[in-house]
Amino acid sequence: MEMKKVEIDSGILQYVPKGAYYEGQDEQFTKVFDMWKKLFLFDRTLFSLMMLLSGTGFSKGMMTHFLLSNEQENLGKALVPASLASNYETQIIKYNLAKERTPRALKNLLLLCGDVKLNKVNNSRTRKIILEYIFNRSHDDLDNLAINYKNKLKTLIRHALGKQTLFKILNGNLVQFEKLIGRYNKNAGPVVYYIFNKEYPKKSISAYFKKINQCIQLREAASKKDADAFENLMKGLPLRTVMGFRNTYRVPIEIKDVMEDTSVSTKEALQMQSAAKRVGGKIKVDYKKQDIYDLWKILYHKVLTGEKDDVELIFKALNEIKLDKVDIGETVIIIDASKSMYGSDQRPLHPFLTALSISAMIENVKAVIYIGGKLTSVETEVTQTEIGWQGTSIIIPSGGTPLWRGLIDAVITGIKNIVVISDGYENSVKGTFDLVYKHFKNAGYDFNLTHINPVFAADAQKGTVRRIAEEINPLPITDYKFLETEIIFQKMIENKDLVKKLLVNRYQKLIGGGRTE
Amino acid sequence: MKSLLETLKFTNITIGDIQSVDEMTVFPLVGPNRGNVASPNNLQFSRTTGYGNMEFKNDDERPAIVPAYTMVRGRGGQDHAMTGTGIVPRKESIIFNTACCVEQRQPGMLSGSDKDNRLDILPITLRKDLLDYNKRTKKEYGKLWSDIIRWLKGIGHGVSSEAGHLSYFYDNVQVKKALEDFAAEFEPVEGQIGAIILFSGVPVGLEIMPTNAHWDAYWKQLIRGSYTAELFRLKLLGKVKPSTLIMPEISPTAKPEEIKKTLEDFMSHLKKDVAPLLENVTIANIRTIGNTAGLQTDLLITNGGGGDIIYQEEEPIYISLVL
Repeated sequence: MEMKKVEIDSGILQYVPKGAYYEGQDEQFTKVFDMWKKLFLFDRTLFSLMMLLSGTGFSKGMMTHFLLSNEQENLGKALVPASLASNYETQIIKYNLAKERTPRALKNLLLLCGDVKLNKVNNSRTRKIILEYIFNRSHDDLDNLAINYKNKLKTLIRHALGKQTLFKILNGNLVQFEKLIGRYNKNAGPVVYYIFNKEYPKKSISAYFKKINQCIQLREAASKKDADAFENLMKGLPLRTVMGFRNTYRVPIEIKDVMEDTSVSTKEALQMQSAAKRVGGKIKVDYKKQDIYDLWKILYHKVLTGEKDDVELIFKALNEIKLDKVDIGETVIIIDASKSMYGSDQRPLHPFLTALSISAMIENVKAVIYIGGKLTSVETEVTQTEIGWQGTSIIIPSGGTPLWRGLIDAVITGIKNIVVISDGYENSVKGTFDLVYKHFKNAGYDFNLTHINPVFAADAQKGTVRRIAEEINPLPITDYKFLETEIIFQKMIENKDLVKKLLVNRYQKLIGGGRTE
Repeated sequence: MKSLLETLKFTNITIGDIQSVDEMTVFPLVGPNRGNVASPNNLQFSRTTGYGNMEFKNDDERPAIVPAYTMVRGRGGQDHAMTGTGIVPRKESIIFNTACCVEQRQPGMLSGSDKDNRLDILPITLRKDLLDYNKRTKKEYGKLWSDIIRWLKGIGHGVSSEAGHLSYFYDNVQVKKALEDFAAEFEPVEGQIGAIILFSGVPVGLEIMPTNAHWDAYWKQLIRGSYTAELFRLKLLGKVKPSTLIMPEISPTAKPEEIKKTLEDFMSHLKKDVAPLLENVTIANIRTIGNTAGLQTDLLITNGGGGDIIYQEEEPIYISLVL
């Protein structure tokens, strides 16, 4: 079977189940699920190797589910290509879990526990992967993991061990413990007891797991409603854990104090900022450490809700942010700022903010042309002279999509590379962009046009996104971080015979090992 | 000759950039807010209290306008539609007892709190069927069934016409997707309060809402439920041939600046052309049919269609006209 018979694009690696301006997530999920399935049935090895490219956590999670719910062994090891280890799938799954942020990695493992859309996967490979992910780490790491994600770990461990084995381990069966958990961390016993709210039989539990011990003491203080002890013990513990105890046991302590004295991750600090403000507290956010997409997101949120605090700091962070830019030569970027780029209610502004982030990732940009959009000035709570900030405006997606105007203006500059970032909905008038593009090409104008589409579309004629010019294959990029991967992916797809070879090389570079023949 | 907008005293309205996809063209109408009426967010469909009775609740301090021919389809009861506009005074609930069932056999009442309810505006042919004043005001919930059966006839593609169920059409999986996809091609523009809609270059509708917020709230129900639905049906019946707007010829040697000028001139020409198209619309009759909470509702009949126009302090603030 030739690869061209399987219609896929890198949208299979970039799917996020959050819908678009015009489509619900179910519709999108069905389409991308079909693509995963087709590729899996077409070539399982290629499917696995694709997971080495950058992608969203959810896509990787779903692809992991595909691999683990279909035993590799059943297909016979003879089918494993040379240069790959016999357990290459497991290696790739573990590689991806290690690369993900912890909450996403845990969510991906939880997909294996089943939900409305997915079946449970429970086989020895799955069990090993779950237990190894949780317990094969340093004591400090395990300590942090246990107090931050107790309930998720509870579900995963119960799923991996089964109720009977778990019961035996919690009742002191050391043989089972050593065989299943101790092999990764022989001191992990207290962690398992903590996660399942069982008192550890031995008293000396805090040597390796100080935070667990602190949490146990915090719970005791909470149950006695001892606010002073609680306030003392909560310092440095995760906000969510502390807030859980406070609410469950109704500890008389101000929410703002909890928010200010507990720990949150860099990303959580941004997410919790507004909530803290509502209760009179303040979570300090280091904007310089934030991701560019998150900075745009919080800036737009503040402008649209009329919040003025920190706006100038966010602008500064955006101006000073360091990015690993992609250089494709001198470029003019056309950004579709029409209404549809506002995105869905579930993920407002995502397409447009992705477009802004992608444009920042491109080196050597000579001009950015916005089509549509409404210019909105930004207000701050400090005066410009206090901070030396010049003030600026932002563009809110609005109106129709005369993208052809942008193309003509870009061509007038004489530039060789034109990048259009658009969801592909062109209405003013539909087809005009293609008409103008074809004219320029027929007349011999020398430029490369790249269409980047940040919106997954179930109604796309081909692939997972809509196109604006008949002859231009759009690059589906729903996350700015995948810009480079997407460019690589497109190059590989153009020469299909090289796809697997390049991915095998990537596997050897990233994971190493494999058989030689 | 005066344009229809001038005749009806809709002033301070300009025509925005054309949006055209396949056979449908939409000219946005842009202008300042016209009416001091309830925010669309404060008007809710509450329930059907009996067959032919639709209740709406207005939580605003100002009177609310229920857009003409609002249709509610739900799983819990018989689908209903208004037979024209409705006025709900400030902080009141009103039961409109001249509404009609757009589903023939399904029993049960609709509840506004049902999240599965789908709101649309009736397709334009059925709106025309309700222009007869006696039919519109008759308390007979089955008054549109025979029209619906006629409307559904011949569509095919799994759309039955054995009963007066509009859901046969709207909830058909293929149709539903086609309507969503096509309506998605159009976008509201800044300051938009209405639109002139054309099929294959022929004006078929004029819609103006009291404010930009009203247009934002209802444009999709109009474009998808009323106009796209009708166009899609006509295409399936073979009554509208596939076509697109014919773009101007561009000389193979044209420079970018020349192409831009050609296209800008073309778009501008289209905008100027649409107003004269409305000159052919003549008003046959205007009849005041209601005066509630300071809002006067007139039923306007033209040479080819008609609809509701609403005045506040003698100024027109709303119109929904099938041409």
